[in-house]
Amino acid sequence: AFCLFSDKDIIYMCHFNGAVKGKVLITNYRLYFKSSDADVTVMLDVPLGAISRVEKMGGASSRGENSYGLDITCKDMRNLKFALKQEGHSRRDIFELLFRHAFPLSHGLPLFAYVTQEKYAENGWNIYKPVEEFRRQGLPNNKWRITFINKSYDLCDTYPTVLAVPFKSKEEDLRRVAAFRSRARIPATGGGYEGDEYQNAELVFLDIQNIHVMRESLKKLKDIVYPNVEESHWLSSLESTHWLEHVKLVLSGAIQVADKVSSGNSVVVHCSDGWDRTAQLTSLAMLMLDSHYRTLRGFQVLIEKEWISFGHKFASRIGHGDKNHADQDRSPIFVQFIDCVWQMTKQFPTAFEFNEHLLLTILDHLYSCRFGTFLYNCESAREQHVRSKTVSLWSLVNSKMDIYLNPFYTPESGRVLYPVASMRHLELWVTYYIRWNPRIRQQQQSPVEQRYKELLALRDEYLKKLEQLQLSDSSTSSRLANSPTANTSSTTSTPTQQYTHLQTPF
Amino acid sequence: LHQHCCKIFTFAYYLLLLLMHVNVQSKKHCKSIVVNEVNFVRKCISAESNQDDPWGKLICTNFKVSFIPQEAPPKQKSQLSHLLLGEHDIPLTCLEQVVTVNDTKGKKKVLGSNQKLKFNPTELILYCKDLRIIRFCFDEAGPESARKVCLAIAHYSHPADLQLLFGFEYQGRRYHECKGDYIVGGMQTPIFDRPSDWDREIKRTSASEWRVCSINESYAISPSLPEYIVVPVSLADQDLKQYSLYFTDRRIPLWCWNHPNGSALVRMACIVDPLHQRKIDQRIFTAITKSHTQRSEVIRSDLDKCLPNIQDIQSAFVKVRQICVLDPFEESEERWLSSIDNSRWLEYVRAFLKHSAEIVYYLEGKNVSVILQEEEDRDLNCVVSSLVQLMLDPHYRSLIGFQSLVQKEWVMAGHRFLDRCNHLKKNYKEESPLFMLFLDCVWQMMNQYPAAFEFTEAYLTVLSDSMWIPLFSTFLFSSPKQRAQHLMDFAKNKAIPQGEDQVVYFPPVWEWSQQFSIKDQTLFNNPMYVGKGAACVQNGEVKTFRRTKKTYSSTLRGTATLMRNGLKEGEDTLTRRGSLVSELKSEFSAVKDESPSERFFRDWFSRPADQQGLLIPLSMPSHVALWKLFFLRWVPEACIPRGGPITAYHKLSQLVDEIEILQSQLRQYKGPSPGNTPLPSPSGPPSDQRRMYFKASYPDDPATTPDFFTSSFPFTPVGNLCRRSVYGTPISKFLNGARIWLSTETLANDTV
Repeated sequence: AFCLFSDKDIIYMCHFNGAVKGKVLITNYRLYFKSSDADVTVMLDVPLGAISRVEKMGGASSRGENSYGLDITCKDMRNLKFALKQEGHSRRDIFELLFRHAFPLSHGLPLFAYVTQEKYAENGWNIYKPVEEFRRQGLPNNKWRITFINKSYDLCDTYPTVLAVPFKSKEEDLRRVAAFRSRARIPATGGGYEGDEYQNAELVFLDIQNIHVMRESLKKLKDIVYPNVEESHWLSSLESTHWLEHVKLVLSGAIQVADKVSSGNSVVVHCSDGWDRTAQLTSLAMLMLDSHYRTLRGFQVLIEKEWISFGHKFASRIGHGDKNHADQDRSPIFVQFIDCVWQMTKQFPTAFEFNEHLLLTILDHLYSCRFGTFLYNCESAREQHVRSKTVSLWSLVNSKMDIYLNPFYTPESGRVLYPVASMRHLELWVTYYIRWNPRIRQQQQSPVEQRYKELLALRDEYLKKLEQLQLSDSSTSSRLANSPTANTSSTTSTPTQQYTHLQTPF
Repeated sequence: LHQHCCKIFTFAYYLLLLLMHVNVQSKKHCKSIVVNEVNFVRKCISAESNQDDPWGKLICTNFKVSFIPQEAPPKQKSQLSHLLLGEHDIPLTCLEQVVTVNDTKGKKKVLGSNQKLKFNPTELILYCKDLRIIRFCFDEAGPESARKVCLAIAHYSHPADLQLLFGFEYQGRRYHECKGDYIVGGMQTPIFDRPSDWDREIKRTSASEWRVCSINESYAISPSLPEYIVVPVSLADQDLKQYSLYFTDRRIPLWCWNHPNGSALVRMACIVDPLHQRKIDQRIFTAITKSHTQRSEVIRSDLDKCLPNIQDIQSAFVKVRQICVLDPFEESEERWLSSIDNSRWLEYVRAFLKHSAEIVYYLEGKNVSVILQEEEDRDLNCVVSSLVQLMLDPHYRSLIGFQSLVQKEWVMAGHRFLDRCNHLKKNYKEESPLFMLFLDCVWQMMNQYPAAFEFTEAYLTVLSDSMWIPLFSTFLFSSPKQRAQHLMDFAKNKAIPQGEDQVVYFPPVWEWSQQFSIKDQTLFNNPMYVGKGAACVQNGEVKTFRRTKKTYSSTLRGTATLMRNGLKEGEDTLTRRGSLVSELKSEFSAVKDESPSERFFRDWFSRPADQQGLLIPLSMPSHVALWKLFFLRWVPEACIPRGGPITAYHKLSQLVDEIEILQSQLRQYKGPSPGNTPLPSPSGPPSDQRRMYFKASYPDDPATTPDFFTSSFPFTPVGNLCRRSVYGTPISKFLNGARIWLSTETLANDTV
């Protein structure tokens, strides 16, 4: 990233601290602000990709202190206001610069992911290999086969090239079905679980609202948490945003899918186009059914497979680099999915290999445009440039895995996880939605996780010490090998035997 | 008339003792007398079908309602096993309401004491104070015996007199049966019934300007104060005696706690006589100022004016209970959040936390002493004073410390447990769950600072349940004087020699071994606790925190110094003028509309929290949650199978157990020098000394989540919450829970 703009004399209109004087620095990746006042330390670090709207505030003749400046709306639940000096149109430069670089696609500029030259030890693009993943699930078998019919995206341009389809279906039939379905999206396997296909189909409506309702719901949620948390009738206000209710419906839909699948029925999940609700429901159901997807790498595969390769329209839903903030195609469908995952991790603290930090990182980079992972609407559009020219988010994650690992994780393969989709248990994810509030202590890690890691380190330290003592003990006993006492002590249980038995499997 | 009735009751009671001398010895030492029983009763386990319902005998004794299944069901592993109560037992004191129903006739009656029942009940529903709802069906039982049992349960759950509570019967027998050979456990908890307990507290907090005063010995001054209290050294006994005349119930101000910076927390009742108010106030204030090492001013907080009153709290609790356990599960989902909101329970929890944090700011940030004032000084003051101390003093966050805090600020300060718990079910207007509210506030702090408390939420829940088991002196009385009198009479009646310690013959709840095995008590231990002497790893080396009082107070002082805009510690003891200047400076804030206390909190939240230092809870509504273990543990639909916080607790517990084994092995290595004496083979601590409930696992053990884990652990919803399937039954309207629990008037109604 390189510096585009800096100003030592800008005022950040903080919702909590009032006007804060400081220094602003804008690169082609981020906006950075630091207060110069020693009394109030305010720091801002906003990837330009997270900006959804930049507006001018006041005019050259506006009266009143700090009434002239910029108003920035972000996709990650915050708003920022800056005030500038009215003399000499000082706002013009910064506004134009922000506008160009926050919305590069509207200005014929490349997204930052194409500019950055980051290098990582692991190449995250290799995390998902469709045929390998099908093989892990035992496909092909006598019920399902793998087809390359969409090899060059001519059957369905929003589907991946490799598909698993019912064994008996002929390529000709698939082509005919494709003609009838919305945008030629034929039914293909999500989880790939065995069962009889299309017999005695049972139709279940899940009552999940459309993308516009979800967008408005999150907007309402933002209103009650930012800048301040609604003090009076908080829970009633939260209820009226319906956000948790939508989360509940998505989760309970996924539970129904998982339940049907685990009792031996195949399930066709569909919504109008099959890239929003379908992605949510299949991926959540798979998370419940298949413990592999609850591992750090498995979760990446799940996102790659059900979201990225099956064509969730990230570009349209998020509006990467696009200035049209009011676009009706935008909707927080993926955020809602991650919220559902978070709810599951809360109910089953030991069932997931990854921690909350991973979920936060994913959501941050959903907007940041630093990685190629969430760019574009489908695989066919992506294939041409993304893999070779951008870095995958999983490169970042897998090069520093330990900070994303849940120390409580207990692998239990084959265990089906049914969360309780009830308002009694669903909670607002405060560490995501209310993280900008300065009255809350910023914690890198959940205190419980942190304490567990400290205790693990302590145990390892004790084990090391004991080993040292036992080594020096065995050297003394070998020196005194002739003495009878040494012999008796070595026949009784030695420290080595004692403590190796006690190592917690990890 | 009342006395007359009492006599009749007592007579009937002893008559029954004579007639029905059958001992139910289901649990050790806890023999209670069977009053009535009925066979072929079905206990309703599930609302949908009665296939799995157990059949058995329903018994009413003078202690509990007992259900004895014909076929003993397999012992549920998840259950905390109570030493005195079986899985299907309910102490009579735990009964909130006894409701009989006749389904075919469409009749229902809430039974009180000494009432008639004109129909034969087909069902009995017991609403319990610990939020359980237990239902029995009499479809195969003898109608007359069923009726008698219901009446007996109703009658015995409304005792006419405190002495009739089973605790008196039980402890008397226990004293004589086990005389000499029982160990008095749990006695590390100071009871504060003697000067030495107070002296220790004065020394511990370096409150050198305060003294133990014994003017209330034999309750000579106030009937609701303890015999020994702590007062400013500058006030003579004579002054105090004189002042006492002007206070409600003659309750002179009570010292609670001292901050290392010299400021004190004091609680007091209101001054009755407005004519003398100013004069008395002034003298009290002057004396407290003199007792401050820096002679700082005193601030008064009138809790009656800024916090909900006891009726508000009671009605909020009734509503939240209704929403959690009575309302049909699915139907209440949609409006769940707003219903919880409308109950105002969490709003009140927040209000108490917030106000207590405000007091903390004065003591810690402004370095001034605080007087908590309340009409009677026996309700809201108990909550606030104990919360303030929990936030400021890590000692109270240890198990013993916490118990001593409850002893000091609730039991000895004269919280009217008897009236607030309504054990005698006489005056419903006086009933209010203040102690429950306090436990909820503690849980909120625990939820936000999970490593700061030595005890667990299971402990808090079990403690709340113990309020409804009438065997311990802690929650039975309304004042230390009442306790002393009752126990004296009791000792006389039971031929217990004079001079025997009351704690020995009628123990407090803190003697947990009366209720739970040593193993089960380990569920109270929080494996995450960072306590005194907790070991930690720093830069790859194991270090032990040894927090002497000195370092503790210096951390506190350090934060106070920060508040004073960079004035160094040495400057703390400046002249009055100097400190005034620094105070004015700290009032200034660069931040808009920010009060000094907000500034103080913002500063504090911007630094990492020290588990052994000051802890301030976040009181934003988004950070105050419903205490699920307490409110939802019996609700089957809300139960997460093989999930919930227990799964993480399990792993923590196993790890800490392993660490403790390693520690013990290391200690044996460090013993006598290895050259001279043969090495003892290192081993773990003896099993009865292991503090963790879950033991370290072995590499061969499969790492799975045990099947009996649920979000309700260590409790189980099975059979403990049987809401009637409301739909389709003709009497569904009558069973609308709102009527049953909200209105006490229905108690008087006969049939619907």
